[in-house]
Amino acid sequence: MTQAHRIDLEMFEGPLDLLLFLIKRDELNIYDIPIASITRDFLSYVKMAKELRLHTAGDFVLMAATLMKIKARMLLPLDSDGDDEIEDPRTELMNMLLEYKRYKEASEAFATLERDQRPHYYHIPAPWNETQEDPTAILEDVKLYDIMLTFQYLLKNYEDPVTHTVAVEEVTLSEQVGFLNTLLRSSAKISFLEVLSRFESRLVVVVTFLAVLEMLRNHQIKVRQSELFDDLLISRGQKFE
Amino acid sequence: MNKTELKQVVEALLIASPEPLTEKRYQACMGEGETGLPLAELIEVLNKEYAKSERAFFIKEVAGGYQLVSHAQYETYIKGLFSKAGKLRLSQAALETLAIVAYRQPVTRTDIESIRGVSSDSSLRTLLDRKLLEIRGREDGPGRALLYRTSTEFLQYFGLNSVKDLPKLREVEDILSEEQDELV
Repeated sequence: MTQAHRIDLEMFEGPLDLLLFLIKRDELNIYDIPIASITRDFLSYVKMAKELRLHTAGDFVLMAATLMKIKARMLLPLDSDGDDEIEDPRTELMNMLLEYKRYKEASEAFATLERDQRPHYYHIPAPWNETQEDPTAILEDVKLYDIMLTFQYLLKNYEDPVTHTVAVEEVTLSEQVGFLNTLLRSSAKISFLEVLSRFESRLVVVVTFLAVLEMLRNHQIKVRQSELFDDLLISRGQKFE
Repeated sequence: MNKTELKQVVEALLIASPEPLTEKRYQACMGEGETGLPLAELIEVLNKEYAKSERAFFIKEVAGGYQLVSHAQYETYIKGLFSKAGKLRLSQAALETLAIVAYRQPVTRTDIESIRGVSSDSSLRTLLDRKLLEIRGREDGPGRALLYRTSTEFLQYFGLNSVKDLPKLREVEDILSEEQDELV
């Protein structure tokens, strides 16, 4: 860490909160965030976070990855042919920070209201003012959430021991690659849906799809689709064998 | 009914009402043919009387109706009546989650988490347990995610009359220009 401050990560509500802190501390311009240095500072905090509660650490690691991605994109030269509409890779991050800041500010306003309101007690008892837990209390005004909680609790009594039957299905990626190759040798274009209709097993369908992805990656095939969720049209690629 | 009688009726209703007393409910209790004064007017008179005679309570407009509320200085004594857990302050995480729900309701957990950038499961659970939030159906889209909104208790808790009275949310432009000013 460049600065001598050691800050406890528990202080922060999450990666965005930490970034806002770093921006304020170093008086950075939110329009023009120096990604390289902020990434470095951020990562040193994440190292500390790893020793903390795991679920929070995950959110910090995710942001670290985002920062590094932005940093990498900043290194790429912008197309000099003058397409002005290329977006600054930092824009999305800036928008996220600003949006988060709005609600963080609002939460401070709520904290003030809470403080003003706390010493007042209502004649109509508020649900959070319960004297004692009363096991015989009749449920009034039951909300969906209460019912869900109860049901979840009850379900625990009905947990069947989990048994799995494992059947070995003989299908491999290379088999399906070979199968698609054979089909493409006899016809220039094949329909993915038609191919799938030959199979009944979910596993075979999945492996076939993986085969399509694999072949696509290796430029053995080309895939076209007219719209989202529509059929895939598969044809021979540059490196079709 | 003369004004004194009307005030007495309103007091009785306030004592007995299981929820904040609304103008509409008051009119319904009065029955047909009784051309009483508007509730708001009677409440104002009552509040003046309470202030003059130094009562420990007043009538507050909250969650769309009226209810009796104790003055702040009796907190020390009243606290002894209740379990401690009830008056625990909300954590920063819970307040942020609550703020997002309040301004954007109905929202899904994913909406909240994408703004906060952290998982908000446990804050949501706390807020539901304390009845400040409630589940209102599911989203239509894929996954049919649960939709959250603020409850009547939320308004009570923060002493608000309706969600229209929320503290104003600043516009992004305001924050940006402020950031720029700080740099200069």
